[in-house]
Amino acid sequence: MGETLDGLLLGFSVALTPSILVYAFVGCLIGTLVGMMPGLGPLAGISLLLPATFGLNPIIAIVLLAGVYYGAMYGGSTTSILMRIPGEAASVMTCVDGYAMTLNGRAGPALAIAAIGSFVAGTVGVVGLMLLAPTLAQWALRFGPPEYTALLLLGLFVLAYMSGGSTLKTLAMAAAGLMLGMIGIDVMSGYTRFNFDLVELSDGVGIVPVAVGLFGISEILLSAGAEAMPSVQRPQLRDLIPSREEFRRSVGPVCRGSVLGFLIGIIPGSAHIIASFVSYGIERRVSKTPERFGKGAIEGVAGPESANNGAASGAFVPMLALGIPTSPITAVMLAAIMVHGVLPGPLLIQQQPELFWGFVASMYVGNVVLLVLNLPLVGVFVNLLRIPYGYLYPCILCFCILGTYSVNNSVTDVWILLVMGVIGYVLRKFGYDLAPVALGLVLAPMLELSLRQSLSMSGGDYAIFVERPIATTMLVLGLVIFLLAVKPLILKGRKDWRAVMGLDKEIT
Amino acid sequence: MSTRPLVAAALAAFALAAGAQEQFPSRAITMVVAFPPGGVADTTARPTAAAMEKVLGQPVTITNRPGAGGAVGNAVTANAKPDGYTILMALSSISVIPAADELFHRKPAYALDQFVPIALVSADPTILVVHPSLPVKSLKELVALARAKPGELSFSSSGLYGALHMPMEMFLYASKVKMRHLPTTGGGPALTAVLGGHVELTAGGPAAISGHVKSGKVRPIVSWGAERHPSYPEIPTFRELGYKDVEYYIWAGLVGPRGIPDAALTVLRGAVRKAVEDPVFKKTMASVGSLVQYKDAPEFGKYWEADAKRLARLVKIVGKVEAKK
Repeated sequence: MGETLDGLLLGFSVALTPSILVYAFVGCLIGTLVGMMPGLGPLAGISLLLPATFGLNPIIAIVLLAGVYYGAMYGGSTTSILMRIPGEAASVMTCVDGYAMTLNGRAGPALAIAAIGSFVAGTVGVVGLMLLAPTLAQWALRFGPPEYTALLLLGLFVLAYMSGGSTLKTLAMAAAGLMLGMIGIDVMSGYTRFNFDLVELSDGVGIVPVAVGLFGISEILLSAGAEAMPSVQRPQLRDLIPSREEFRRSVGPVCRGSVLGFLIGIIPGSAHIIASFVSYGIERRVSKTPERFGKGAIEGVAGPESANNGAASGAFVPMLALGIPTSPITAVMLAAIMVHGVLPGPLLIQQQPELFWGFVASMYVGNVVLLVLNLPLVGVFVNLLRIPYGYLYPCILCFCILGTYSVNNSVTDVWILLVMGVIGYVLRKFGYDLAPVALGLVLAPMLELSLRQSLSMSGGDYAIFVERPIATTMLVLGLVIFLLAVKPLILKGRKDWRAVMGLDKEIT
Repeated sequence: MSTRPLVAAALAAFALAAGAQEQFPSRAITMVVAFPPGGVADTTARPTAAAMEKVLGQPVTITNRPGAGGAVGNAVTANAKPDGYTILMALSSISVIPAADELFHRKPAYALDQFVPIALVSADPTILVVHPSLPVKSLKELVALARAKPGELSFSSSGLYGALHMPMEMFLYASKVKMRHLPTTGGGPALTAVLGGHVELTAGGPAAISGHVKSGKVRPIVSWGAERHPSYPEIPTFRELGYKDVEYYIWAGLVGPRGIPDAALTVLRGAVRKAVEDPVFKKTMASVGSLVQYKDAPEFGKYWEADAKRLARLVKIVGKVEAKK
């Protein structure tokens, strides 16, 4: 413990130097702005900024990039809440209740809770990183393909069990997402599937154009077809601050989301989007009033937003403790310090204590900066709603296209975006829930890869899933949940929790 | 008195003027990187571009066009206007993609003869590492163990026909050993699979593995280089151990679309020649752990051709995965 305190003291002596503070602030600011741009997520943000850090020293580089990273994770919520356009993929879940809150005139509290939730999650994450990094990292390494397959299956079962609305429509949408995820090169055999001879499609369909298209473009199309334009809102100052009731409702989701997000973030290769989906599912399940979800429940904003920022911190654990990049984002960050001759590896903490502790301390500072930066800005952002839609929407459309293009400099992605926008428009007209499409698209390639990797490891023997304790435990748990989910289908007459809550009716 | 010399002189003057106007480069050059920022191609391209800027007096901007294991960016360059303003920092995988396309009867993304070499910048041999629990300290012991348990050891790679798959197949073919293959989505995940003990061995880039070698989390066995790697002087090479044909580098070199005017090509070659002597460039390359292996266009062209032949042959030998089962 004493060692940790010494380290932290060293860290703060680094992090509180004026130049580092300035870079942490700049990073958070850029990150927030990048996150707000539809399509541009944390990966695009830090990739674009990476070359600029080559001239800086490694501590500044990593502090700046980390600021961009968690700034973007937070910033993604702003457009989700205000316009139902996910700023980045992990904010898809925030769209649902965040935008509903905006329609109810509670945009301010939604933004404020998102900022506070991100702050709490970020702080929980740093504490976890500081105290548990080496232990947790060893645990994370035990997640091989079989464990990962089991985790993804467990996640799917949990979501199937907890999703609201018409089960049939939800499953149809999840299946559509899974099928979209089949496009592209088959990683185990090298064959390309459904790519229509387009080189760009052999990597599959990206989540960014699909999420922004399905949610963002379709929203713009829908409002163009609306008989009456949504009225321009003029929020008052007192509407910006969450009420006591809203605070009370948010405490649980924020805490659960932070811990859940952190744990999911640690596991190599997992995506933040899963953390926010699972958090949303759990909050709806544990809520005493699940019927409020989808209609502006603040829990539906607090949980997923905390979870995705928690996952952002969790991803640093294997990166710093083991020196292995577990996601594209941490890979870019490792590259940023490697350029300066700092070789990543398990010895990083011993060999570069200033880098490690400076980074940890700067995350504390960065989270405070993020909160200080964003709470006052809530008022500014909410006032964006005053812009008449006739001016606002064309601008947003431009940003959607620019953002999507700049991720891969790819025109194909822009076409996918536009096609998805039209598909999203049609589906929403028919009352389908679009979030499962995004989830299916993310999960399909991961599930397929890990399942086939597991079988490749075992030489085709499915017994590998019951020989490994972590994998087996998760599969059994998943099976139990699955049985619970199908129980009402088999034992007719018994009422499922959905029916009890009146949730088996459609939601849109 | 004929007007012909006059016309000729006028024409020559015109050509000269046009030539002067077209003084290469008169605007920014785009260097395409077919991989996301932070990868080997990118960390080689950026210092090279920065050093070339100083020589050329024009900006050299990096454009990342990732996708399909580099095929997207390579194809973009292959089909770019051959004026010298679009060049590519290619990785050795540029030679594998057309061979794999052919194997699967796919419409090829590009053909190798669409490119012209400019200069080789760096080349890093891969190094075979094993999980420390594997009771082998040398290549001989590894081969003996693999022969004793055919098809039981498994290796991870950066992906099918990827930069870390090809060297392993080269070794397996030469030693007539069978192992299981676990393709992943990149060099990082491939190394993680060994660190976590999910597979026994992998091929790794010298810089990527160095921290893990120092802390004893992986054990280096043998290198694919022609000579021993300066950072791993105690690790023998396959060639030393009698595997004459087992040689593999992940190289990065500048290429352009075929048809770049000779004048422009000469300027570009000259710029790279000076760029690799730049102290900042040298320092940056040393800190990312990449070996600078400068070769001018003619030697690079020969080197590339031999490498491409070797890899294309290997892709055919590896063949389609399910065909083997």
